[in-house]
Amino acid sequence: MKTHRVIITFVLCTLSICTLYAVERTILLGPKTIGKAWRDNIILEPRHFADAKAGDILTVYNDRAKGTAQGAFQNPQNWQGVAPEYGYFGIAGPFRMTLTDNILRIARAYGIAIGGHDYRILRVTITDAADFQETIVWKGSPVKMKNDWSTSAEIAGRCFETLQQGDGLRLHISHVEEGAACKLMDFTWHALDPSVDGVPVGGDAYTWTVNSRAPILKLQLAGYGNQTAMRIGGKGYRLDSIGIVRQVGEVSEDLSLAQRAPREYMLQPGELFHGEKYFAPDWSGNLSINAAPFQEVTENDVLIISYRLDTEAVATGTKAQLSIRDARWHEITGGDEPIWYPLDGTDVVYMFDAVALDRVKTRGLIVTGVGFTLTKIEIISAQ
Amino acid sequence: MRNKILLLLLLLTCASCGAQNVPDPVQPTVSYTLCNTKATAETQQLWSVLCSEYGKRAMSGVVANVDWNTRETENVYAWTGKYPALNVFDFINIHASKDFNPQGWLDYSDLTPVTDWFNAGGVVGCMWHWQVPANNGTNYTCSPGTEPGQTSFDPSKVNDPSSDEYRRMVRDIDQVAGYLKKMQKRGIPVIWRPLHEASGNATEFEGGGAWFWWGAKGPEAYKALWRFMYDRMVNYHKLNNLIWVWNSQVGDWDWYPGDDVVDVVGRDSYYALQYPLAKEYNELKNHYPNKLIALAECGNGDEVDMSLWSKIWHEGSRWSWFMTWYDYNYNAGTSDEHQFAGEAWWQDAFNSGVVIDRETMKSLLK
Repeated sequence: MKTHRVIITFVLCTLSICTLYAVERTILLGPKTIGKAWRDNIILEPRHFADAKAGDILTVYNDRAKGTAQGAFQNPQNWQGVAPEYGYFGIAGPFRMTLTDNILRIARAYGIAIGGHDYRILRVTITDAADFQETIVWKGSPVKMKNDWSTSAEIAGRCFETLQQGDGLRLHISHVEEGAACKLMDFTWHALDPSVDGVPVGGDAYTWTVNSRAPILKLQLAGYGNQTAMRIGGKGYRLDSIGIVRQVGEVSEDLSLAQRAPREYMLQPGELFHGEKYFAPDWSGNLSINAAPFQEVTENDVLIISYRLDTEAVATGTKAQLSIRDARWHEITGGDEPIWYPLDGTDVVYMFDAVALDRVKTRGLIVTGVGFTLTKIEIISAQ
Repeated sequence: MRNKILLLLLLLTCASCGAQNVPDPVQPTVSYTLCNTKATAETQQLWSVLCSEYGKRAMSGVVANVDWNTRETENVYAWTGKYPALNVFDFINIHASKDFNPQGWLDYSDLTPVTDWFNAGGVVGCMWHWQVPANNGTNYTCSPGTEPGQTSFDPSKVNDPSSDEYRRMVRDIDQVAGYLKKMQKRGIPVIWRPLHEASGNATEFEGGGAWFWWGAKGPEAYKALWRFMYDRMVNYHKLNNLIWVWNSQVGDWDWYPGDDVVDVVGRDSYYALQYPLAKEYNELKNHYPNKLIALAECGNGDEVDMSLWSKIWHEGSRWSWFMTWYDYNYNAGTSDEHQFAGEAWWQDAFNSGVVIDRETMKSLLK
């Protein structure tokens, strides 16, 4: 009897610990570079969201973010933001998204694409909402942000006395209009960091993670006591309250179910593309390469395009073909009409002339077509 | 014989076609002159050095971190052990200058950043993101438009002395002229680049437009404003320490204010690859043969990273100087990588042997 009591007590204690502190589990392991100009993305597989629930937090840990880096959570089906506020936003440290029923519907059907530009994804996790504890620090009269950006709320320094690095500052909002945006400023009206200078907001809250000491010092020193430390402005929403959110859960080291980002491939000299790019029968496929790799190309060089025929598409009557344009979709040879290269499985070999060279060195090129999977584009010297 | 001549002609034609990207030396016979015949001795001396170096070496430069400092020059020094020769200050925040606005956060009337830089041997440049009140009545902006945060400020009102816009323009020009006058009194010549990028991308493709208010009403209003500013500064305020740089955008030939009010033609490029830059340089040089041509702003862009300076030069560009843009986040310590031109780029520039740093410039100006 005594033994049973001990076991029951042990089980109950274990359960209560599990309930108090769920673990943050990794669903994607990087690195995955999200380069310039919105060209890169990675899709989180739908399976990761089977057990997730509304309120859970998706966190993208990242590094190498440039000052102007932007992130995005997109629906891979149509490449729109999974919610208006997630179409694009600034990045300064880890960025997060609260899963809603609507977002979960998308995620379970198609997954979620993480995109943007100028940063590198290290790890993506899902955390139970209960792992974040929130303390409301401001609940003044609600402030409606007018559409002309002329309104702002003044927040006293005492609200930030307990703020620590790594905490989130959660703005509870309502009456959100289309195009709503928020600007978090210090008392001198300067944005606290570039990621909160007009960031889109939506839903019922926006959380800014405080990743460095600088803004904390600014808020705590400049706004001692009842002095104004922070100004919150923007347009198209109402600010109702502010909380400080702190993560209290643990991190799981179990990576057995984590999705792995594809190994980052380093292009070899002369290679412009290496990988798999599908050119579907619906003409939706194209690949754009900017002018940089063409700067030293001469008329002695040739462009080789390698591909694999989409036998299924060809069998159903699709005529596999491709054309090469400049980045403004003009025919690379300078002609008015595009030239189509029929594809029979052998590489397409293109020899540059002066006109084509000028176009690719100035604008870059686009490959478009149907019925194949592009595997490699390279430049080799004919000499 | 006839066949031989034809063959020779053919060879010459081929040679000239092939020489398209070969370095194109500046014509030594061209005499470049300042449009202001009353330019101060210091200004003429700087001009003389720029002209004598044109085509041989480029003067290195950076812009200030937003407005009134030499913060970016310290980055270059930390990376290379050398300072760039040119620092360009920006009058972007004159509305917040303490001498005009007691609530302001900077003071353009305090010339310390400028004189310190000049006394250390640096060349002083100034530009002006000329901000005017936004439509919402609270902010200041350069962006034209009807949105609350934009401005409907009409540059064509420069022809209407009874308008509010005219009075505002005069007031602002006079304020800036005051700072430039202080520099003149201290013997500081200034490479002066106002009203830049006026046509935006209006002439580049259909649907393009001006992105600053001074270009919003087209070329005629813009040229009138340029000439008005020139007249106000040179003839009214007697500013004789300015080298006037007009900024050209792709295809904006109609926007050129005129040989008599422009000393240097500049081009800004954030698609700064060696081949397009060489094309643009040659196009500008052919169009404005009597003017120095400068790469007035440059840096990595959204699409591509800037080519190394050694490659830009090798491709045939002979810009009189270049000026890389600032990275506010890098300077604030919130970004590890300089967005526009970092350590590797600057090291290549100074190792290319065709770039003038501050020390070299100092010796040239002696």
